[in-house]
Amino acid sequence: MSVDKRPAFEPPAVLAAPVTPPPSMRRPVATAMGSLLVGLRVVAGIVWLLALALDWDSILERDLGIGIDDVEERAASGAALTVVLVAGGVVLAIDLALGVLVYFGNNGARLAVMIFATLSITIAAIDYFTDGADITVRTTLITLSLDILVLLALSSRAARAYARRPRPARRRRRRVS
Amino acid sequence: MGDVDAAASDTSTEPAQSRRFSVNALLDGFFFVYAGVASVWLAWLVLTETFTFGWWGIAFFIAFWVVLAYLVLPRLHRILTTIYVPDYFIGRARTSDGLLGDPVNLAMLGEEAQVHAALAAAGWTRADDITLASSWRIITSTVTRRSYDEAPVSPLFLFGRQQDFAYQQEVEGNPARRHHVRFWRTPDGWLLPGGRRVDWLAAGTFDRAVGFSLFTLQVTHKIDADIDIERDHIVATVRKGDPAVRVEVLRDFSTGYHSRNGGGDTIRTDGDLPIIDVRAVVPPPSAVAAAEVAPAPRTADPTKVVT
Repeated sequence: MSVDKRPAFEPPAVLAAPVTPPPSMRRPVATAMGSLLVGLRVVAGIVWLLALALDWDSILERDLGIGIDDVEERAASGAALTVVLVAGGVVLAIDLALGVLVYFGNNGARLAVMIFATLSITIAAIDYFTDGADITVRTTLITLSLDILVLLALSSRAARAYARRPRPARRRRRRVS
Repeated sequence: MGDVDAAASDTSTEPAQSRRFSVNALLDGFFFVYAGVASVWLAWLVLTETFTFGWWGIAFFIAFWVVLAYLVLPRLHRILTTIYVPDYFIGRARTSDGLLGDPVNLAMLGEEAQVHAALAAAGWTRADDITLASSWRIITSTVTRRSYDEAPVSPLFLFGRQQDFAYQQEVEGNPARRHHVRFWRTPDGWLLPGGRRVDWLAAGTFDRAVGFSLFTLQVTHKIDADIDIERDHIVATVRKGDPAVRVEVLRDFSTGYHSRNGGGDTIRTDGDLPIIDVRAVVPPPSAVAAAEVAPAPRTADPTKVVT
């Protein structure tokens, strides 16, 4: 066996080295946790939407300075609320579907969830460090922590390996989707 | 729907396998590091909350400790040790965070079935793998102070692999105190420093208590500093269990380890490496059959890494 000269440290590229798990790999805790946290994120979203719907009029008046004086404006405000709720519902439904796919080890869903979490964390960080936005339990700490925990769980080596494990049969993949 | 997309992208990236790193793998590396940085921020945010809630602040401080010890530090250790701890044999196993773990202080010659037979005859119990069920059983047995002979041991890594199996002996039915030894099959054709060929390397240590780790801030088993006592205990029990066992000692194999393990415990050793030769052990027929049915030993297996 020949031995090459090598440095006393490993290249940082090792962090991105592909993993080669066995096909028989069982679902790691990190994947299950990541999926569960996505579910909690959806629950938090539903709570947020409900709070928004219940408090809609005062939010319009206080935060946006829109007063509701007559029937026409009331109808418009109701329509706007419906649009917001439907859009929010669709986003949450997609989130939930991604969470389920993550549970079954789908790598595309895992990457999508991580990209969304990264964007959300980055936006919150920019708000916090430039505008001094308050992040406390009373404001956005819960959703931000969920995002960070999701990213931690799904970026772990075990979750990565599980999502990239070689699949034995093609038929099984179709049934999962 | 997502699966079909994944399948399509799989086939399209297949010709690019010759590239050292795919875009996907680079994304994984980026998320791995980014999550580590974000978790530091999370720990800071949770810490600042402890000052705003009066007595409830204590709960937030505990949450801060959990986030720091079990999420932030493991990820940071993992990122840093991947780079600065050389990934070749240095006589030490590594923890799942990449820190230096228990020292390798035993070697074995023989087939897997023979190793199992020799240890079983010596009164050792094979440890369960870590699963949700076994983790739950650890918690319940600790709380109710019942014994759990086959309690799993934490994963340690050698040659980039988790231990192939581990054996243990509980002491006085107390889950906090136990003898345990982890085994790794050496890669084919691999030679010890100095040129000897061995089939298995093992790290045996004695858990003396459950305590607070200095390095990781986690609650872990504290190991006995005199690892030679445990090593000699393993050799003595295996010798007594089967007269066909032969032992040879490499003197001063690792003399000069006066160091700490991954939990920050100090280690003292005379540096001798006993090579236990079990090639003459005749395993029971059932064990041979089981070994033939069992899958081949794991190669690079990152499956049990949690963070």
